[in-house]
Amino acid sequence: MLLHFDQRSPIYLQVLHWFKKRIVIGEFKRGESIPSRRALASELKIHPNTAQKVYKELEEQRLITTDRNVPSKVTMDQSIIDRARIELLENAVKQFVESIYAIQIPLEEVIINFEKEYNIRKRSELDA
Amino acid sequence: MLEVRGLRKSYGRKKNVLNDVSFTVPLNQLTCLIGLNGEGKSTILKAIMGLVPVDAGTIKVDGKTIHDSIAFVPDLSTMPGYMSVGEAIAYMRDYYPDWNQQVAEELMGFFKLMATDRIANLSKGNKAKVNLLIGFAMNRPYLLLDEPLAGIDLFTKEQIAWIFSSHYMEGKGILMTTHEIAEVEHLIDRVIFLQNGTIIQEDDSEEMRELYGKSVQDRMREVYQT
Repeated sequence: MLLHFDQRSPIYLQVLHWFKKRIVIGEFKRGESIPSRRALASELKIHPNTAQKVYKELEEQRLITTDRNVPSKVTMDQSIIDRARIELLENAVKQFVESIYAIQIPLEEVIINFEKEYNIRKRSELDA
Repeated sequence: MLEVRGLRKSYGRKKNVLNDVSFTVPLNQLTCLIGLNGEGKSTILKAIMGLVPVDAGTIKVDGKTIHDSIAFVPDLSTMPGYMSVGEAIAYMRDYYPDWNQQVAEELMGFFKLMATDRIANLSKGNKAKVNLLIGFAMNRPYLLLDEPLAGIDLFTKEQIAWIFSSHYMEGKGILMTTHEIAEVEHLIDRVIFLQNGTIIQEDDSEEMRELYGKSVQDRMREVYQT
């Protein structure tokens, strides 16, 4: 697994985002053990400190739980995962709106094009 | 914590090669000493090791004036060319009491080094790997790496950079000199910028990204091109 980092935004936030996405789409399932900090660092080729920081942040947001001497686990609480899902959506929409707003396209036109593009994307996935 | 205080050095008529250089290298961090060529980066590392005399300054580890908790990884191979990789490792194992043979063997495997290869016949990248292997196997808390990435091909650089994401970093304080940071930028914790033998700037790289949206390379440009 090789992440391409944007060198102008904090590495730990990029890894945090990557991790949340994995939880939200169920690649890391509720209650499932997640890789150790060490394993995450060498898999993503990040500094072990960065992996540590990401896990600490995930713990604070209660997306993972860590007990003594056992691997950390994804939370069992679906409402926390739902909240993370909404947060990812809101952030993506915010970014999208920023770029659309900057080129002054009316909302109606945006929506038509958005739907068209979304469906193309969906179809390409079904074909594949 | 490795502490460098008030380092000063002049070479003959060349004054202030190092001019009151002070900084610290904490454990569990990768600190990068950046400077254009001839700014005194290597001199600082050698001064920390006591390999070159200085006019003033102190080097302390946890408040004590000792050097045996620091390992130095030079940019050129210091092992005799007639030795094989295996012989070089055996030689170092006999020499250093804290030598960790397990680390040496693991890194040999990871770097795909052959025990029977002669040092003299190794590529520049493989020589750098042997040096790193020796540095990590010396099993000391602080490691000084002198230009471990200079003049090495991309894939070898990536392999070398891997070590910075591995568990071998745990509990280690690393000070690395370099001007080639593209492959390791996301792995660096702190950056110290050197110019004309003086520290002109010190950054926490994540803080720079978070507060100012600037990469280490952006900072390099700002620092050296203005």
